[in-house]
Amino acid sequence: MSITLVIFLLILAVTLGITYWAARRTKTASDFYAADSQLTAAQNGFALAGDWCSAAAFLGFSGLTALYGMDGAFYALGPLVAFCTVLFLIAEPLRNSGKYTLGDVIRSRMKTRSSLLAAIAGTIVVNFAYLMPQMAGAGVLVRLLTGISYDWAVIFVGVSMIVYVAFGGMLATTWVQIVKAVLMLGAGAVVLVMALSLVHFNPLTFFADTEAKYGAGYLLPGNYLKNPFDQISLGLGYVLGLAGLPHVMTRFYTVPDAKTARRSVVWVMFLAGAFFAGTTLFGLAAADFVGQDAIRAADKGGNLALPLLAQYLGGGKGSVGGELMLGFVAAVAVATILAVVSALTLSTSSSIAHDFYVNWLKGGQVEGRQEVWIARLAAVIIGVLAIALGILAQGVNVAVLVILAICVAASANFPVLVLSLFWRRFNTGGVIGGMAAGLVSSVALAMIGPAMRGSEALWPLVNPTIVSLPIGFLGAVIGSLIAARDLENEKRFDAFLLQVHTGSAPE
Amino acid sequence: MRGDRRVEAAHDVVRALVAAKVRFLLPMTIVYIVGYVGLTAVAGFAKDAMAVKIIGPLNVGFALIALNYFLSWALALSYERVANRVFDPLAATAAASVRGAVR
Repeated sequence: MSITLVIFLLILAVTLGITYWAARRTKTASDFYAADSQLTAAQNGFALAGDWCSAAAFLGFSGLTALYGMDGAFYALGPLVAFCTVLFLIAEPLRNSGKYTLGDVIRSRMKTRSSLLAAIAGTIVVNFAYLMPQMAGAGVLVRLLTGISYDWAVIFVGVSMIVYVAFGGMLATTWVQIVKAVLMLGAGAVVLVMALSLVHFNPLTFFADTEAKYGAGYLLPGNYLKNPFDQISLGLGYVLGLAGLPHVMTRFYTVPDAKTARRSVVWVMFLAGAFFAGTTLFGLAAADFVGQDAIRAADKGGNLALPLLAQYLGGGKGSVGGELMLGFVAAVAVATILAVVSALTLSTSSSIAHDFYVNWLKGGQVEGRQEVWIARLAAVIIGVLAIALGILAQGVNVAVLVILAICVAASANFPVLVLSLFWRRFNTGGVIGGMAAGLVSSVALAMIGPAMRGSEALWPLVNPTIVSLPIGFLGAVIGSLIAARDLENEKRFDAFLLQVHTGSAPE
Repeated sequence: MRGDRRVEAAHDVVRALVAAKVRFLLPMTIVYIVGYVGLTAVAGFAKDAMAVKIIGPLNVGFALIALNYFLSWALALSYERVANRVFDPLAATAAASVRGAVR
């Protein structure tokens, strides 16, 4: 395990060096929140890949495929398809109509304080629901990979993320994500070529071998997600939830214009998409070469399928090549977690400093330098909170939170954002109604579902998106209709549309 | 007054732009949503259909998953092409009109 630690310390040294460089360039609020909107499409594409591929994607998809066959491939496909929604509906309008956050878009459309507060709530709930399981996962993973204790692992991950975000802001976070994405894609390419070289570059051999070993059912759906409605719910949650994740949204403010935002989505779709497709082959190869029993023995959830496959391909346990490959993949997995938690911390601190403190509390009357210091302070507080929650979460079933994050994003943030961008009649009542309905239905249904209550579940679906998403939209529409018509707002809609679609404002 | 007319002209261009986007994006959105969510529905309710073998050990399910990857990539590239050629010039026209109004 010491090789992992050495490679990881190397990655850490590089990212801290980047943070030092970035900190010297981070002076204004625009630097801190959005890297001064100066990134290229390729840079933002790599950063998006680093942003969106959590450890659940890096390790989880391969593991699920290795243990459950086709259901793992479904899990891997969804995050790619989801970028179609982002590309068609979200990326360019966000770039054109906002500055740093989801709250900016809602505020510039509604111009009311209560709608801003609803957007802040949506941002913070989703980010914390996402951050907490990432911290808990980091604790388990770092302990598994390096041997240090869970608590220290969480503290270590949390402190690193605080340093990146508080000192280097978006610039450091972006480059941590780019470094991680390059390492992840590199590791994936090496593993893929080595695995394929063992089967004469015919991937169909993996299908034939695993079917022979684990039976015809292995290559069929339904091994992991038993309830068909859960399958569909998962699909919907992914396809619409990604577009409602605040830490993904903030990435589109780091580029200068809509055209670059668009190009960066195409970049991430090819980079991350190729990697996701790879995870299906990694999973099958791991099931073929390493075997399900060995994978389960290392980790019940299958999360070590990819590291074990890398070890096998390098020459097996105990060999120099095997340990080197294992160490490399494991270190990349830790870097993956760091990149994702940093993005979540940055996005949350932006919302608290920019949306809540500056725009809600102070009505925008805060000096730029002071705003940066508030954002840095917010990042430190959020980081400490995340460490505490991560330590408390040890042994608690955090799976429900992962589902919750994506479900609230799809059921609350997504309807409110889409209706803000496209519906003239939409008003503050609709923002509040949509947020409340989406949030409450997601949380309530996830809490009484099997992820939380096991066999005593009061309702059958692990992932409630299929029900909570329509409820969120319904809440938004009903809220708009109940509230008095906001004629000023409707009159402004033409100007807002102009801003959304061209990036220019009439004033 | 001339400024107001130019802003009005910009709004008209934006309306045309939004209409063009809807015409193009609505079918594309239906394609990928039906493609992916439909796939998960077939996986849930018609498992047997997914089991039919196509080439050697490869079954319909995995082939459809692979198809979805290529579909997403194809849609993304064609959107980018249309956006660069059709949507961007319209947006630029509207923006220029507004800038004229401000001056």
